Amino acid sequence: MTFLDLITEDVIKVPLQSTSKPAVLRELVQILKDAGKIDDFDAALQAILEREEKQSTGLEKGIAVPHGKTASVKSLVTAIGISKDGLDFDAIDGQTTKLFFLLIAPPNMPGPHVEALAEIAKLSRSPVFCDALVNARNAKEVVELLKEE
Amino acid sequence: MNSPIKKIMVYIDGTEQSITAAQFAICLARFHNAELLAYYVINTKALDELLKASIFLKDEQMEYEHDLEEDAKRYLNYVQELARSKNMLITTKSRTGSVYQEIVNAVKEEAIDLLIIGELSRIRSRRDEFYDETERAMRSAPCSVLIVKDEERVYELFESLS
Repeated sequence: MTFLDLITEDVIKVPLQSTSKPAVLRELVQILKDAGKIDDFDAALQAILEREEKQSTGLEKGIAVPHGKTASVKSLVTAIGISKDGLDFDAIDGQTTKLFFLLIAPPNMPGPHVEALAEIAKLSRSPVFCDALVNARNAKEVVELLKEE
Repeated sequence: MNSPIKKIMVYIDGTEQSITAAQFAICLARFHNAELLAYYVINTKALDELLKASIFLKDEQMEYEHDLEEDAKRYLNYVQELARSKNMLITTKSRTGSVYQEIVNAVKEEAIDLLIIGELSRIRSRRDEFYDETERAMRSAPCSVLIVKDEERVYELFESLS
């Protein structure tokens, strides 16, 4: 299974509405709930918050990769959100964050979890590609860009 | 003429496809009276990259490495059970590093003459063509490579093995 196998239009939100870190994490988990990918919203959010408490997953250049493990999901799930204006996510470079890749995995699936995160890491290395994603007008364009890359 | 296949290696990565590949490898090893090995590669290269990209913290990297080691044990034990159920011997090993590089290294070091891999993921982007680790191993392995497909047929074949 590749990261792209997890991507469908219903797990992508453009634009995100939230303007703060706690709100955007809830909004991203809600995408998964609305898409029927998770049953237990609170457990999924808790897994993400526990990781964020250790250190923000806000990286450089406007990208964040919130992730966590919880037995409340049966398989690896992901959501992508784009904030057009960007928001303060405690990123390591102090810049606002616009592009969010959320990933939640069950504890017994470390292989696919690591591979999916590694794919996100590869994608995030291309500033041109990330700019194109941030400028996508809707979920369909995000899917098309990911398949073209 | 002696069998051209004397030493088979099957790559196990924790997917259903790799378990199907193991079932087929057991059947083939029986047919050719070949020695059989199963390898799992703990992808520490990806863990290192995630740490470098600041996606992982150091303790998180160690935790996931431990999880992957346990995953390797679980799947290799399962493959051992599969072989044992058909009165076959299989040697199981795990390595750490880059998946494709370690598969190729194992093939060379063990003098494997047939590498068996589960069905590859569908190519979904141009990136997949360049970065899929198992596909890179298939292209780079110095021996013949067999990709196992048709899970149902392989299951029937495996079940029919006495």
